[in-house]
Amino acid sequence: MNRIDASDHYDESSFAAQTPSLLTIVIDTNPRAWAALHHVLPISKAIANILVFVNAHLAFGNDNQVAVLAAHTNRAVWLYPKSPNPDGGSYGRGQDVHMSGVEPELGTSANKYPQFAQIETSILTSLRALIDSTTAADLNPTTLISGALTIALSHIHKTSLAFEPPKTSTDPANPTTAAALTSSSTATPNLHARILVLSVSDSEPAQYIPTMNAVFAASHARIPLDTITLHGTPTFLQQAAFITGGTYLSAAANPRGLLSYLMFGFLADADARRSLVAPTQDSVDFRAACFCHRDVVDTGFVCSVCLSIFCGVPDGAECLTCGTRLALGAYGAKPAVVPRKRKKKKIARVNGSGGGEDTGSATGTPVPP
Amino acid sequence: MSANANSLSQYLEQLPGTTFRRLYLQPSTAFAIFRRMLPHLAKTIVMAMLYMPLPFQLSDLEIWIKPTARREKDQAIAILRSLHIIQRDTPQSMSLTPNFRKSLRLALEGGGDHNSFGVPSTQPAPPEIDIAFLDRYARKKWDDILHYVVNSVGFSSSEKGSNGPKQSVKDLLLGGRLVERKGGGLSITQAGFTFLLQEANAQVWTLLLLWLEAADVLNANGASRAGMESVDMLSFFFLLASLEHGRAYNTDSLPEARKNMLPTLVDFGLIYIPPGNSHQFFPTRLATTLTSSETTLRSVSAGFAAANNGDNGDATQVDKSAIILETNFRMYAYVQSPLQIAVLALFSELKFRFKGLVSGHLTRASIRRAVDMGITSDQIISYLASHAHEQMHRVAASTHKPLLPPVVIDQIRLWQLDTERMLATQGYLFKDFDDYREYIEICNFADDIGVVSWRNDKKGMFFANKVDQIKDFMRTRKKANEGK
Repeated sequence: MNRIDASDHYDESSFAAQTPSLLTIVIDTNPRAWAALHHVLPISKAIANILVFVNAHLAFGNDNQVAVLAAHTNRAVWLYPKSPNPDGGSYGRGQDVHMSGVEPELGTSANKYPQFAQIETSILTSLRALIDSTTAADLNPTTLISGALTIALSHIHKTSLAFEPPKTSTDPANPTTAAALTSSSTATPNLHARILVLSVSDSEPAQYIPTMNAVFAASHARIPLDTITLHGTPTFLQQAAFITGGTYLSAAANPRGLLSYLMFGFLADADARRSLVAPTQDSVDFRAACFCHRDVVDTGFVCSVCLSIFCGVPDGAECLTCGTRLALGAYGAKPAVVPRKRKKKKIARVNGSGGGEDTGSATGTPVPP
Repeated sequence: MSANANSLSQYLEQLPGTTFRRLYLQPSTAFAIFRRMLPHLAKTIVMAMLYMPLPFQLSDLEIWIKPTARREKDQAIAILRSLHIIQRDTPQSMSLTPNFRKSLRLALEGGGDHNSFGVPSTQPAPPEIDIAFLDRYARKKWDDILHYVVNSVGFSSSEKGSNGPKQSVKDLLLGGRLVERKGGGLSITQAGFTFLLQEANAQVWTLLLLWLEAADVLNANGASRAGMESVDMLSFFFLLASLEHGRAYNTDSLPEARKNMLPTLVDFGLIYIPPGNSHQFFPTRLATTLTSSETTLRSVSAGFAAANNGDNGDATQVDKSAIILETNFRMYAYVQSPLQIAVLALFSELKFRFKGLVSGHLTRASIRRAVDMGITSDQIISYLASHAHEQMHRVAASTHKPLLPPVVIDQIRLWQLDTERMLATQGYLFKDFDDYREYIEICNFADDIGVVSWRNDKKGMFFANKVDQIKDFMRTRKKANEGK
C-alpha cells in the first residue's frame, strides 16, 4: 500500500520537462585586439570554436536557442538571428525560423544538421559584412560592450515573453489567471537565459554607467553574465560576473584552448549549474569609474544622496548628478590631530582620576557625628 | 521521463555493446541518442569530456559536482554506461567510447563525408507540398492506424471514408499483440490500450520498435528479405529524426536496405513520397520530432491542430484534445475527433456531447471497467496529464500545485488497487551480506541509481530490478577493499 502514498509521483516532471535555455553570445570584434591576438588565435579559428560551442548548446534539446551579437568599436550588430530592423516582419526566434517554413537556403551539406548549417551561414555572412564595412576611422582601441549587452537583454526579455504560457488574450473574462501568471513567472522561469561575453579588450571607463545599468538589469532579471577573456582586462565585466552570479574566466594564458574553456566552464545552464561547482574568481577588481572624468579610481568621493562617484571634489561641493550641496566636513584637515587630543584628555583623566574619585567618595560618605 | 523514452531505452539497454559500437558510427545516431536519451547532467558531463585529450579522472568529477548532487551524478553515470557512451579505462578514470566521441564531434563540427543527415534532393519540390499538406497527410495516416486499433474495441467510428491502414501495418499490429484475432473479429489487448493512451510520439516509437523486433525475428529465421537489419534500421530512424520538416530529400543516395524501408515508412505516415516522383521523399512531422522533448511535442499537436483547422476552417479549436479535470471527478474534454472520444469513453462515463466538447465523470464503475479491460491507472493518469488543457497547466504553474488534482489521482489509483493487490517485478534479491556496512553501501548505491524496488534494512536484504551496475559497483568495491 506504500505505492499510493502518492508522494513520489508529484515530482515526476523533473526529468521530462527540461526548461529551454537561451544562450546569448556577445563577441567582441575589436580589430586591434584581434590583430594583437592573431599569432596565437586568429579570429577565424575563434569563430569556429564558438560555432562548435553554439552547436553543443543547441544539441541539448530542440528548445534551446541561441543568439549571437557582435560588439564592435562603434556599434553592436546582430550576427544571428538576423537583425529585426531591415526586414521587419519576418523576425523570428532561433528555431522558429526554419520551423515556420521560411524558405531555407538550398544546398546545405548532408553532413550537417540543418539548423547548425543555417546558423553557421548566418553568422559568417553577417560577420563578413561587418568586417567589410569597417573603415580605418573606426579603429578605436575599445569596444562598445554596453550596447551589445542592452540589445541582448531586450532580446532575452522578448523571448521569455514568448515562452510565457500563452493565450491570456483568449479568455478576457478571466483576468485572475493573468495576474497569477505574472507572479508565477518570477518564481519559476520557463526560460533559462544567460549571456556570454567573449572579451578581447579592456573596459572603456567612459562606458561605466551604461554597462553597470545593463549589469544591474541582468542581475534583476536573474540572467547570469558569463565572461571569458582572451586579451586585456575587462574590469567591468569581471564585476558583472560577480554581481549576476556568472562565471568569469581568463583564457589569456592559453587562448588556443578556447574551446575547452567554453565546453567545460560555460556550457552548463542554470539547471546544471545547480549541481556543479562553478569556477570562482579569487579576486575581483571592484574599482569604479568616476562620473566626472570617467577615470577608474581607487579612492573617490561618493554623493551621500545619489551615490554618484567623483574622483575629486566637484565645483562648489555640488553633486553633478543630483545637484545636492554636499558638506565636506573637515575634509583637508590633518587627520592626526583629533585622536591625539582625545588621547591627551583621557590620559589626563586617568592621571587625575585617583584623587578626584577619592575626594568624591570621601565627601559623599556621611561621617557620623 | 515520458513513456516513449522508457520503451526506447528499454530496447536500447538490452542491446549488446557491439551493436552500440556500430550504431555510434553514424553521427546522426550519436547525436540523436545524446539529445533524446540522456538526463541533463549527463549531457553536461559528456560535453565537458568531448574535447578532453586525456581520460577524465573520477576524482576530478567528484570535485566538479557538488556533494548535494551525488544522486543525480550516479544516475547520470549509470545511464551513460548502460548506453555505452562512457567506458572506464582504469578504475580511477573514464572516457567516452571512441566511436561515440568521433561521431558526436563530427555532428557538432559538421565535417566528414558520412551523409548521415540526409541528402537533400536537388530536384524542385512540387509546389503543393507544403508543411500544412504534410501535416494533414501524416495525421490522416496515423489516425487510420489508431482507428484500426480503436475499432477493434467495438466503439464504432463515424469516419468510414478511410479504408484503414495497409495490410503490412495490420500484420504488425497483430504481430505486436496490440490487437488479437478472436473468433473472426478483432479485439484489443492490454498492450493495445497502452498504445492508445500514449502520446503520438510514443506511439510512433512503439510501432517502430515493433517493426524492429519483427525484422529481428525474420532475420533469425533466415527469411530476411533484402537484408533489413535492426542496427541499420535504428540508425535510419535517428537519421529521419534529424531531417528538416517540409524539405525534399533524395532517395537515390540511400543504400538498398534503406530504400526497402521506405514503403513501410510511407504506410506509417512518417514520410511522404510524391506519386509522380520516386526520387524524392519528404519527412513529416511524425518523423522529424522522433527525438524531440516534450515541450516541442505539445507544439506538434498544435501543429496538427492547425493543419486540421485548415480543413474545416474552424479556428476556434486550438488544441487537438484538451481535458479539464476537476476535483469533483468531472471531466470536460475539448475534442473533435471520434477517435479521441472513443479513447475517453474507455475509462470515463460520458454524459453530454456538444460540438467540440464532451463532458463526463470518472466513476468507480468506469475505472473498474477500464482496469478489467487491462488499462492501468498509471496509463489513465498519464493520458490525462499529457492531454491536460492549457488552463490546467497555467493554474498549476501559478499555484505551484500538481497538474492534476491529487485527490482524483489517488482515487484512481485506489480504485485500481481494489482489484489487484499484488505487484510483480522481475529482478534479483540481494541477501546474506558479509556485514551491515557492505549491505548499506551497496543498497544505497542501488537506490541512487534507481533500481531498488524493495529494501529491508533490518534483515539486510534488498531487491533490485536491474543488476549490471550493482555488479560493477560490488566488484570495484571489493577491489578497493583488497587494496587497503
